[in-house]
Amino acid sequence: MIPAQMILAFLLAVPLAACAACAVSRRRPVLEAVNVSAFALTFLLALAVAAQVLRSGAISLWNGFLYADSLSALVILLNASAALACSVYAVGYLREDERSGALDDDAGGNTGVSNTGVSNTGGFKLRKYYALTPLLVFSMLLVCLANNLGVMWAGVELTTLASVFLVTFYGKVTSLEAAWKYAIIGGVGLSMALFGTLLTYYAGHKLPGSDGLAGLNWSVLVRQAGQLDKTSMRMAFVLVLLGYGTKAGLAPMHTWKPDAYSEAPVPTAAILSTALMNCAIYALVRFYVLTSRCLGAEYPGHLLLLLGIFSMGISAPFILVQKNFRRLLAYHTIEHAGIMLTALGVGGPIGSLALMLHMTFHTVAKSALFLCVGNIYQHFKTDLFQRIKGGVLRVMPLAGSAFCIATLAIVGMPPFCLFQSEFLIVGAAFGTGHLLTGALFLLFGTTVFAGVALHVNELVLGSTEEARTGWYPWRDTSILVLVVILIAIGFWLPAPLLELVRRAALVVIGNEAGG
Amino acid sequence: MHTLQDPEFGNKMVTLMAALVLVLQIAMVAQRWIVTNIRIFAAQSILLAAIANTIAYYNHAPHIYAAAALTFLAKGILVPIVLERLVARIGIGREIEPILNAPLSIVISGGLTLVGYVLAEPFYRPEESPGAATLGHNALAVAISLFLIGFFMMINRRKALTQVLALLCLENGLFLAAISLTYGMPLIVELSVLFDVLVAVLVLGILVYRIRETFESMDVSRMRRLRG
Repeated sequence: MIPAQMILAFLLAVPLAACAACAVSRRRPVLEAVNVSAFALTFLLALAVAAQVLRSGAISLWNGFLYADSLSALVILLNASAALACSVYAVGYLREDERSGALDDDAGGNTGVSNTGVSNTGGFKLRKYYALTPLLVFSMLLVCLANNLGVMWAGVELTTLASVFLVTFYGKVTSLEAAWKYAIIGGVGLSMALFGTLLTYYAGHKLPGSDGLAGLNWSVLVRQAGQLDKTSMRMAFVLVLLGYGTKAGLAPMHTWKPDAYSEAPVPTAAILSTALMNCAIYALVRFYVLTSRCLGAEYPGHLLLLLGIFSMGISAPFILVQKNFRRLLAYHTIEHAGIMLTALGVGGPIGSLALMLHMTFHTVAKSALFLCVGNIYQHFKTDLFQRIKGGVLRVMPLAGSAFCIATLAIVGMPPFCLFQSEFLIVGAAFGTGHLLTGALFLLFGTTVFAGVALHVNELVLGSTEEARTGWYPWRDTSILVLVVILIAIGFWLPAPLLELVRRAALVVIGNEAGG
Repeated sequence: MHTLQDPEFGNKMVTLMAALVLVLQIAMVAQRWIVTNIRIFAAQSILLAAIANTIAYYNHAPHIYAAAALTFLAKGILVPIVLERLVARIGIGREIEPILNAPLSIVISGGLTLVGYVLAEPFYRPEESPGAATLGHNALAVAISLFLIGFFMMINRRKALTQVLALLCLENGLFLAAISLTYGMPLIVELSVLFDVLVAVLVLGILVYRIRETFESMDVSRMRRLRG
């Protein structure tokens, strides 16, 4: 009998094995089969972890090296589902790319990138995609499972390193620029996060039982959070907020985000904007819990509100004037990072519940949105609004209507789910006396709503002479499933998932049994 | 041999080496040649390993020896070799061409050092931890200064490879902070950090090479296509 905790190890082993298998294999059917089945297995294991956590509370493995409570289980489940949807989609997406010649060397104004000593043929690119994506997913799972805050940091850094070459996937001039910004801004940000982690270790290293390896374990630190050194924690939280905030794409450290999202292959962009952002927010939440228990919720809360509202404010004008729909989605993700931070900053039971709900809903809606955009991009071969003169709904009925539904959902229209979480945040903000926060939140939220609605209207409606496209089995199936889930969770959240969300919120405010 | 056992002597040694590290950092800010910059970085990393060894010896913390050895190997030898080979392969463009000139850069670095000392002040508490544990009070101030000057180098330089060097200097500042604050982080953390640094240098090196190939230049300020 294998102990139940071993699923944590399996969860890490599956994507890693898939990465190794794809790195050595050469045939496309093998690569596709390995990826899809590995992510399906990861998803099942994530479900098992969630079930186990719901049944028996937090679980840990290898002397507490790996640790999963409700918060990690929720983020793991969300990330695994996003990864599964994107991997199914990627099969169709990359086949289409191969058919249309987008993977060839001279596509898109490529100049001389192929002289790097390795052949940059379509087959090599495919292998690169299918090997690096499992590595990216592995590192994201490591972030959520690592108990040690230093190992968690290493996991976040690994996500950057694994995804840099996914951003340069098409080998265009602009992809290099995007990848450089992504790597350098990410690297600088993460060095700040490492400094913050180090100060956190210093804040607790004199307490009994916290020397050596366990001294950076979150489960150890959280029990002694009240006795941590206050000066160090104050400085640590600022550094960590800036560091992981860079990774989450908060303004003013957001500049890499539109570039990376518009240059990466669409399934990768979808993973980056949902799962990777969840990881960054997750890391922030871990530090928020420590800091708020050490210094009270006021201090970290104010900083979070400041950055959160600022990110929303920065993204709003860029959304209004945006000409490129992939960059539009990137700015929109920045806005949602701001919303989640605001929820955390408002804090309290309602704020944390809203954060967890919003994270769940955003993951579903934003991945659906990105995948629809992928279909549109591949059909029209452009990502500029002005080059597509409307009529997407007529040309591709499924992707078009899914795009409409997901857009309405993500800008917070009732009856869709994101309305509920954003309403909760506004309610919590006014209820706890954050009047200015609530007012600005509404102002920026409406601006973004207007911007997105205008652009999407222009893109989707209208008439066109183009012929209607057929059914794309891989791509359309994943979009359809995501949209059905998106509509369903607006009305009915399955009881176990709701319970998981509720308990994850309790981790934030520190009441979870066995905490 | 008893001078060697005296913690006071150890303290002086650490302070001396930390001062040298800072001098090297400022030399790097003022230097015009990329290859010299890489060698200064190597010297700085080796000095850091020596500081780590000294602190390990006086505080009887054997796990720091491992961290010191790894730093010596990775950042003192491996990374500089990789970077120098990269420079050799790229060929032209060996000058750094910073945005601000050398005298002004040095003045700014001096100011940042001052900020480093101010920021390190709250962490100096001789009354709480007397004796050997005060080892490296100056080291923390130097570490924060290295970190800040690394930031400055990042902003002040336009060439891709020199930005990588700035990132490595940030990392060096962090290592010094880690050994002077807490006698090093747990070994597993040090290991994963070093591993990430090595991979990051490889990844960035490949990117630098491809940027050089594509843009015929390493000047990142020429990459201006992605806006808004």
